[in-house]
Amino acid sequence: MIKQNTLKEIERKAYMSYHQDGLLDIFAGLYVLAFGLGIFADKILEFCFAAITPGILIAIVLPIWIQAKRKITMPRIGFVKFGARGSNKLFAIFLGLMVAGLGAFFLFTLATVQNGRPVWIDTIFQYGMILIGLGAAVIGSLFAYTMGLKRLHGYGLLTLVLFTSGYFLSFPFEYLLLAVGSIIIASGAALLVQFIRRYPLPKGAPDNAAQ
Amino acid sequence: MPPSDEGIQNIDRLIHEPSRLTIMMHLYVVESADFQFLQNQTGMTPGNLSSHLRKLEDAGYVEVTKEFVDRTPHTALKLTRQGREAFKEYRRNVKRFIEKLPE
Repeated sequence: MIKQNTLKEIERKAYMSYHQDGLLDIFAGLYVLAFGLGIFADKILEFCFAAITPGILIAIVLPIWIQAKRKITMPRIGFVKFGARGSNKLFAIFLGLMVAGLGAFFLFTLATVQNGRPVWIDTIFQYGMILIGLGAAVIGSLFAYTMGLKRLHGYGLLTLVLFTSGYFLSFPFEYLLLAVGSIIIASGAALLVQFIRRYPLPKGAPDNAAQ
Repeated sequence: MPPSDEGIQNIDRLIHEPSRLTIMMHLYVVESADFQFLQNQTGMTPGNLSSHLRKLEDAGYVEVTKEFVDRTPHTALKLTRQGREAFKEYRRNVKRFIEKLPE
């Protein structure tokens, strides 16, 4: 008997095979690394690189990522279009969690206003590194759950541990970004090597169609 | 006809064959896929996959479209509306049949 779980497992396997190439990790890691380098450049050259780096990186990295998917992933595992139904559901869950989080934050802000100023502003400045780590862990978990990529839990947790340690050991913020970015890139590179070994380029016709 | 045979007649034999059932399941969960993707996911040989796909296409369950993606020839495969309905019906019939079986 074909249970709904079996179909879900097949759908999950098909979806996962598209994200086991490590490209997402490499480009996400590059993004974090470049952001850290931007802060370094800020300090050395006294120019606001960190403020403009995210925008520039999106414009550069996104087209490269799409091309890499086309040139590395698709020729090896083929081409698939996933239906909108599943992704809409995931998006709804993601959006729901985000709205719930923002709602909780808004209520917390209202409950903690003192002299017309929310208390969390001081908390953010005082515990900024730990909060960034917590934020990364929460966002990593949300993405891990909605995308089904368990390793994103690990990246979130890694960021939390590094930033919390960094807070107590007084490490500069940019060093931690460089460390997190480098680890994610290394993990992505390892996944990419595994992927290329597991799925060598097929010989013969470009789409290997026997029809 | 023995009681346990009731319902067996309703099970679509074309889909019931394990390789074709695997193909139908994999195409059911996506909008469309190409030959290579299906081959990777099912672990079938190109010849085997091709022959089963042809049977499913002849039955009107699978639609085969030749197209170009990035100037590369590409064969897109998808379940037709008839194929989706047949698969849903197959699931219902198998479930009904198994539920009727004695312990």
